[in-house]
This record gives sequence, structure tokens and C-alpha cells, in this order.
Amino acid sequence: MVYYRRKGRFAVTSMTMVKALNSALDNAMERDDSIILLGEDVGVDGGVFRVTDNLIKKYGSARVMDTPLSELGIVGFGIGMSMAGLRAIPEIQFQDFIYTAMDQIISQMAKLRYRTNGDYTLPMVLRTPYAGGVHGGPYHSQSGEEYFATTQGLTVVTPSNPYDAKGLLLSSLNLNDPVIFLEPKRLYYAGKMDVPDDYYTVDLRKAKLLNEGDDISIITYGPAVPLVMNTVKKNNINADVIDLRTINPFDIDAILKSVQKTTRVLIVTESPKMFGVSAEISATLAEKAIDYLSAPILRVAGLDIPIPFALEDYYVPNEKRIMNAVNKIMQYR
Amino acid sequence: MIEETDISDEKLLNAYKNLIMERVMDKKMLNASRQGFLPFYIPLMGHEAMHIGLGLALRKQDFIYPYYRDFGVLLQMGIPIDTIMSQVFATANDNALGRAMPDHFSLKKYNIGAVITTVAGHLMSATGIAYARKYREIDGGVLTTFGDGATSTPDFHVAMNFAGVYNLPLVFFCENNGFAISVPTYPNESGQTDAYEETKGMIYKKAEAYGFSGIRVDGTNFIEVYKNTRKALENSNNTPILIEAMSYRMGPHSTADDPNKYRKNDVTEGSEKDPVIVSQRLLKEMNILDDNKIKEIEDETEDSSSKLINKYEKAAKPDKNTILDNLYEEEPWYITEERGDLQ
Ligand SMILES: Cc1ncc(C[n+]2csc(CCOP(=O)(O)OP(=O)(O)O)c2C)c(N)n1
Ligand SMILES: [Mg+2]
Repeated sequence: MVYYRRKGRFAVTSMTMVKALNSALDNAMERDDSIILLGEDVGVDGGVFRVTDNLIKKYGSARVMDTPLSELGIVGFGIGMSMAGLRAIPEIQFQDFIYTAMDQIISQMAKLRYRTNGDYTLPMVLRTPYAGGVHGGPYHSQSGEEYFATTQGLTVVTPSNPYDAKGLLLSSLNLNDPVIFLEPKRLYYAGKMDVPDDYYTVDLRKAKLLNEGDDISIITYGPAVPLVMNTVKKNNINADVIDLRTINPFDIDAILKSVQKTTRVLIVTESPKMFGVSAEISATLAEKAIDYLSAPILRVAGLDIPIPFALEDYYVPNEKRIMNAVNKIMQYR
Repeated sequence: MIEETDISDEKLLNAYKNLIMERVMDKKMLNASRQGFLPFYIPLMGHEAMHIGLGLALRKQDFIYPYYRDFGVLLQMGIPIDTIMSQVFATANDNALGRAMPDHFSLKKYNIGAVITTVAGHLMSATGIAYARKYREIDGGVLTTFGDGATSTPDFHVAMNFAGVYNLPLVFFCENNGFAISVPTYPNESGQTDAYEETKGMIYKKAEAYGFSGIRVDGTNFIEVYKNTRKALENSNNTPILIEAMSYRMGPHSTADDPNKYRKNDVTEGSEKDPVIVSQRLLKEMNILDDNKIKEIEDETEDSSSKLINKYEKAAKPDKNTILDNLYEEEPWYITEERGDLQ
């Protein structure tokens, strides 16, 4: 799962996404004592996926806080800290449990800068593992990026590999606005790649062109990226593969540039299709690029049902569904 | 925002003037809303003694996260009247460019949190602010206000729990006016709450379950509110506390409300429990006030408040082009595009 390497003057270590995120948090906390981690089991236990492993030993329990079990409390506590000049990084153990904090996210976190015209700003990064991959059923596998993407004032970021995970998290920590940082749990331990041990950033709001081709633009992000890349490679599809990296605001320039070249578009997401991120991209392309298109925009997405436990694999997109869509688009005249 | 613990006569008299100012302004603002100058308004009548007591209790180093019915706290804190009125009337001079409803102040430079309409939506924020200040070893306490209705929300209980678990420098101040719009806090047989009698539920007792103490104070007596709150703030380094102030909402909940439908108005203006009458009685006993002085203050306030209202009713509204500003630090492409929709 190594798409590109970066060697040179920095020491690099072969890391999983979990390790890369841990390294990002470590770098950030070392540089800035206003950063506070908080959440369920993030301290002594190091987080249920080990993203915060060992950080409490280095930074102490005032900065790596094992909180009471309340998502409303964790997010609200982080909001208050960030209002008062700290930079909170709350962790929600699974995206599925974020809903009791949705009021805090929508009513306070997202609106604070706007409704006070910048009197208060909220530098904070809310991290949470999301989507499938661990056969967690309806309450450990949800995607849900749309809830955040549709909320004005939030920046929604999701990495697809260890290098981006670290660089995007460190960039998010430079923003003076709240970020929802969605970590695809299926990619946490999916593979290693060389990641610099030191601090570096990856630009927010910039998509990454993972593969270049002339026939079709495949737009995707987060948990669906490796599937798309494997499918493209295996089937020799001559495709541009665009990894959004930031869902809102997405990189419209990168998308338009590619679509003007290929004139055919497929959007792949693990979250369900109806009212999804793919709908927003399709609509935007209909508004801005209809003259270039030579085929309908198709979508391959999670099915429009809650994610089932035993048969999760039928719910998420797969190679066959992607190839069916690609063939349909390519054959359209 | 006074420094010392004992209040001078002069300060007490000044506090009384602010209390009358709040009463008179409240009537005029309610009137302004009826005449269409304010699309919405949240009346204050009955809350004045709590507000003035809180304003007296807060020190420069303290932080307050208020709720939407706290106009008089800011008056007593000495926040510039132009800042207050520009917010209430959503004028071009408003700090937040008229984006929030009346009395939804946000004044970071005065250590005032951003008032949110969502009932209790700010209580965890206040809790986090208290943690940040403790972490940074900042002197002073954090105080947050809310209504009795707010004590039914998860936010209240979670915030109380966090405050107890982390032993935060936080004063929870409940302005118990007996009602959440039309619903009594603890209904008695006739569906009413009598805020002045022991009710079957007692908000202040909830603190015990979270590991700190709760007290009940007379919310119509600004000196009692001041004394207890100041003590709580001074002691906040040691423990959080919950203060339940008993009062009565003498007016409607908001301009969209008709209280005759759900309650009998037993505390009316000029009656024994009216905070204005209570304050007059207190200050007369202390020989700080007499009937002549009362009349003089009334006339002065009537005059100055009329001028203020006239000024802000006519004040310019914010420029329409500002409404797309400041969603993010860096404007996204779609907001830039939507600027075209304003032309
Ligand atoms: C979470 C939430 N639910 C409902 C409302 C509508 N609402 C506004 S004020 C209010 C009553 C609040 O009562 P209380 O907390 O006692 O404060 P008071 O208005 O009496 O000062 C309600 C139901 C709201 N703003 N927020
Ligand atoms: Mg009430």
C-alpha cells in the first residue's frame, strides 16, 4: 500500500497509519504545550486502536486525559479549552458514538466563529475512527461524514495512507478553525509506508492525484482509496484517481481540471449513496462542467442501509461494482 | 467588577441605579419589540437582583459564561453601554455584526463567553474554560449562568460531573425563575411552581451527587446574591459549587409568549417580592436610600434610557456584504461564489 516514497534529509520509519498518527500527536505536543488530548481510554490504555499509545507517559495526565464516558462532555470540554486558548484534540472512540455530541458539534463548535464574527475562534481537531473494516456491525462501522460535511463552519478531513494521515493531522493542528478528522479504521493497520519521524505537513483543501490517466476521473477519499487504486491497477484502467483528502471544502480546481481532460466521472465512497458526498460533487459538476461531460456521472457507494454485521462485505463497494460502473461509463456514447 | 470584598455605600447605591436601569430598559426594549424595532426580545423583569448581584461579585480576573437572560450582569460589570446596546439592537457597531439574537453577548476581551440559544449548550464550554484556566494557572474563577429548565438537560449533568471529577474552579449559577417557558420546574398540584417555598425537588441538592456542595440563595436580594457568589468565586480554586437563586419571572418568557395561559401572576410589579421593592427596602434599612432619592433615580433613569433607546432604534444595521464573512479563517471557494448572490 505504498503509493509514493519520500526519502532524503529526514529520517523515515516504516509506519502503519496508527503509528503515523501517534507520531504526529507526539511531534505536535512536543512543540506546543497548549495541545491537550482527551477522550475515553486515550491515556493509560493508549486508545482502543493505540493511536495515543504511550503519550500519557511523556506528557502526563493533565495533557492526555482519560475522561468520563460522555461524548457530549468530551467534545464540549474540548470546545471550552479551545475557547480559552488551548488546542484540544478530543477523540471519539468510534464515530458511531459521536451522536450525543452532535449538538455540541453543530450548535457550538461549527458556529462559534461565525456567530461571534471571529470574537471567538476554535482551534481544535476532533479525531474519530470511522467506516467499516473490523466487522463491527451497525455501531462500530458507520461512515457519517455527510453529517459533518453539511454543517457550515466545519472542515472535514480524511487521510487514505500513513504519510497523509500524519501530514494532514499536523496541518489540521495549524488551523484556527475546528476540524473533524475522520480516520478510516480499515486502513489503521492495512499496511506500512515510509513516514518521516519529524514534523511535516500536507496541505489541507488540496486533493492528491494518485494515478494519472485520460479515460475517466475516479473521485474518492479515505477508506475507499486502496480499493479504487487496486481496481485501477489490476484492470489497467486509464484513470485519473483523485483522493480528496479534504471533504469540505473539497478541491474543486483539481476535480474540474481532471474532468475537463477525461470527460467521464465515477465517484466512489464507502458511505451510502443517497444524499452523500458524491451527490454534492455530482451536482457541482452538473453546474460547472456539464459541457465537458460525455457520459452520466455514476456513483459506487455503500448501500443505503445501516451497515450489517455478518454481511458487511456486501454493503461496501467492491471491485466488481466499480468495474461495472467504469464499463458503463466508458461504453456510453 | 469591584476589587474589594466589602461594598461601600457608594457602590451599593450605584448597584441600585443599575438595577433600576435594567428595569426601565427592559420595559422600553419590550416596547421597542412591540413596535417592530426588535424582531424578538427576552424580558428580564424579576431577574434584576440576580444580575446586579452577579455583576458585583465578578472580579476582573473571573470569567463569566452567561445565558440569554443576563443583560443586567453586563450593566453592573461596567461593560460600555454602546457595546451592550449595539448587540441588543443588532447594529453595524455590534461586535458580532448582528448575527445573534438580543442579549446573546460575546465579549472575549471582557472575559465573557459567547451566549448560545441552545439551552445549556454552553455549560460544557464553561467547564472546558475552567479546565484551561486551571491548566494555565490563571487566577480567578469561572462562573456560568442558566435557568431552572436547563437543569433537565444532559449538558447540565455532564458538566456537573466533569466539574466534580476534575475539581474545576467553576461556579454553576442557576437563575431559578420557576418556569421553562410554560412548564414549572417542579409542578405542584395546581400545575404551578411557587418559587419561594420548598418544592419537592431542589436543584441545589443535585450538587451533592457530583461531589461538591450546592446552596440556595434569595435571588430577589442582590446583596445576598453578591455575597454568596463572591465567596464562591474566591473559593473556586478549591471546589466547584452550585448556587440556586430563587426568583420569579415577572414577565412573559419572550415576546412570543402569553403567560396568562399557564399561570397566575402572583409576583407583580411593586409587590413585596419584586426585586426592585426588595432592594429599596434593603438600602433604606442601611440608610443609603430614601423616597426622594428613589424618585430622583427613577427620573434620571427614565430620561437616560429613553435617549438610549431612541438612539439604537435608529442605528444603522450591518452591511449586507458582511454576512458571508468569517465562517472560516480562509474563505472557501463556494462562499466566494455566493457573494454574487448578494449583489
Ligand atoms: C435545547 C433547547 N430546547 C428548547 C429551547 C427553546 N427554549 C428556549 S428557552 C426555553 C426555556 C428555558 O427555561 P429555563 O432554562 O428555566 O430558562 P428561563 O428562560 O426561564 O430563564 C426553551 C424551552 C432551546 N432554546 N434550547
Ligand atoms: Mg426558568
